[in-house]
Amino acid sequence: MTTIHGVMAEFGSDERLVAALKAARAAGWRRMDAFAPFPVAEAAELLGSRGNRVAWIAITAGLLGAGIAYGTQWWLSVHDYPINVGGRPLHAWPAFLPATTIVAILWAAAASLIGMLVLNRLPRLSHPVFAAPGFARASEDRFFLLMQSDDPRFGAAAATRFLESLQPLRVVEVPGQVPTPGPPT
Amino acid sequence: MIGPLRLVVGAAGGVAAALLALRLGRRGTPTGTDPAQAVLVPLQRRYGRGFTFGLLGASLGVLLLAYAVVALLLVGTGLWGTNIPFVWGFDLINYVWWIGIANAASLFAAILVLRRHGLRTAVNRFAEAAALAAVAAAALYPILHLGRPWLFHWVLPYPATFQVWPQFRSTLVWDLWGILSHVVVTSLFWYTGLIPDLATMRDRAALRGRMLAARLYGLAALGWRGSVVHWARHQAAYRLVAALVLPMLVSAQTIVALEFASTLVPDWHQGRVPLHVVVTGLPAGLGVVLVLAILLRGTLGLQHLIDDADMRLLGQLTAAAALASLWLYGDELLAAWLEEDATRQASAARILGPYAPLWWGGVALTAVLPQLLWSARVRRSAAAGILIGLGAAAGVWLDRFALVAGGLLHDHLPRIGPAYAPSGPEWTLLLGTVGLFATALLLFARTLPVVSMFETRHEEDRSEGA
Repeated sequence: MTTIHGVMAEFGSDERLVAALKAARAAGWRRMDAFAPFPVAEAAELLGSRGNRVAWIAITAGLLGAGIAYGTQWWLSVHDYPINVGGRPLHAWPAFLPATTIVAILWAAAASLIGMLVLNRLPRLSHPVFAAPGFARASEDRFFLLMQSDDPRFGAAAATRFLESLQPLRVVEVPGQVPTPGPPT
Repeated sequence: MIGPLRLVVGAAGGVAAALLALRLGRRGTPTGTDPAQAVLVPLQRRYGRGFTFGLLGASLGVLLLAYAVVALLLVGTGLWGTNIPFVWGFDLINYVWWIGIANAASLFAAILVLRRHGLRTAVNRFAEAAALAAVAAAALYPILHLGRPWLFHWVLPYPATFQVWPQFRSTLVWDLWGILSHVVVTSLFWYTGLIPDLATMRDRAALRGRMLAARLYGLAALGWRGSVVHWARHQAAYRLVAALVLPMLVSAQTIVALEFASTLVPDWHQGRVPLHVVVTGLPAGLGVVLVLAILLRGTLGLQHLIDDADMRLLGQLTAAAALASLWLYGDELLAAWLEEDATRQASAARILGPYAPLWWGGVALTAVLPQLLWSARVRRSAAAGILIGLGAAAGVWLDRFALVAGGLLHDHLPRIGPAYAPSGPEWTLLLGTVGLFATALLLFARTLPVVSMFETRHEEDRSEGA
């Protein structure tokens, strides 16, 4: 038996997409995804994400980077390899600060990109939605709503019927793996 | 002397090349004025004569760079005009200059991203690319000026077999982290914004049957599929990196300036040096972005995306940065007058001595000339914009020369021997880095969307809805 990834509807504007998402949530659908050619903050909120976690990852990484940078300089200069240069203090904190600041920024910036990719489960070489007809326009001017097959009330016929009631441009079945279950949204 | 003739010839060459590119591009590029087509330029098979000639010229510059680097590695820094007390010459002058350009371009792009300004749909992507190319050109210098560049890894804290660590109380370590962070953060800023557009390029290339291009763009897009949840995190990450760029570029440039300030050379040993270097770097980078914006408008038909209001903002920003620089030049004179005797004499030697034309030329080109951009008539003229933009960049270069070489004219010890003058190999290296910068930007314009496609879509969608 072939598995099904979900059922997807295509819309012509972000307002229609957001309206469809609201209707789906009101009807009790929980496992969904939406695709758009530009950020649609309202749709992301309906799916339960605001991107705050990226900021926390970046802040944590920045503090960690600063700690490691300062700690390394302090430990190497004071304990592991102390050099007396004209009696100047070994723990020369003002001289340690420039590298500490900039390494903190380096870690935070790298962590925001890497954190974003990890949270998004990217990079990946392929995904079932790419096989859906017309999906290439998700990067141009079309908006897609996907009802995932891991929703407890999912049935291909029921999902198709529901999506068609929202008057989309078209509804297609997306073959492929059942999405890996994540936290309900 | 520094060869004023060579300077004039070089500057005239730069202006002529820019105007020629504008003219050739207007005729040669097969793009219309349709914005959707204009940003899809990378997928065209033919790109016009302007691009071919430009790339040829720029590649010659890269060849020069290769020649200068190989000669330096074989012979050593004795090829350069530097000698005690002028231990720093073109290596530091050009490094600080390129970093200034990179900083202002990054600053401009980061401010646009953070303010969610309409202009960023057009110029921020290219400003980021210019910053990246300038950082690449800048990063070459500190490594090459080490004397034995192949041992540069000695500044990294790694457990070496000879059990010696870097000296963390030395400014050399700041330099390493400053440059490394600058390169990495600038690249991340550019790449993070690029990911969704790479996905668009992947899909467009596939629609046109260009499977190899689609695969390559697809790999670079990391499997981006435009999920709105991904978008939310992407926007958070993009804005975070933009916010991090601001302290990064201030501290990177400050670190360079602190290396001057922490020496005992009277003219450099001043707390105002970091502020001076950060602020006077801005007109150079904004001038370069202005020139690039004019060239993009002219050659790729982007008038629709980079409109007159955008050009007004960019011109006024350049003029405002020049005004801030004027303030700092005044502060420089005031500080020199108020400082103790040794500093005052050293500053006087720099401002009135043999390098005086450089200092005054720097003030005229960086701080005074861009004031013309307050005038709407001047801003509307492409030729005037190019002249003023390149002039500001050249002016900052003169200022850096006056700071690095002129600052050493009057040290604690009497100077014997001639003043610093750059040698042929140093000029070759400078021309080579300019070639590298131009090549990087041309290849970027050829292979990647020069304006942010997803932001353009968003803007157009909003204006239709309104």
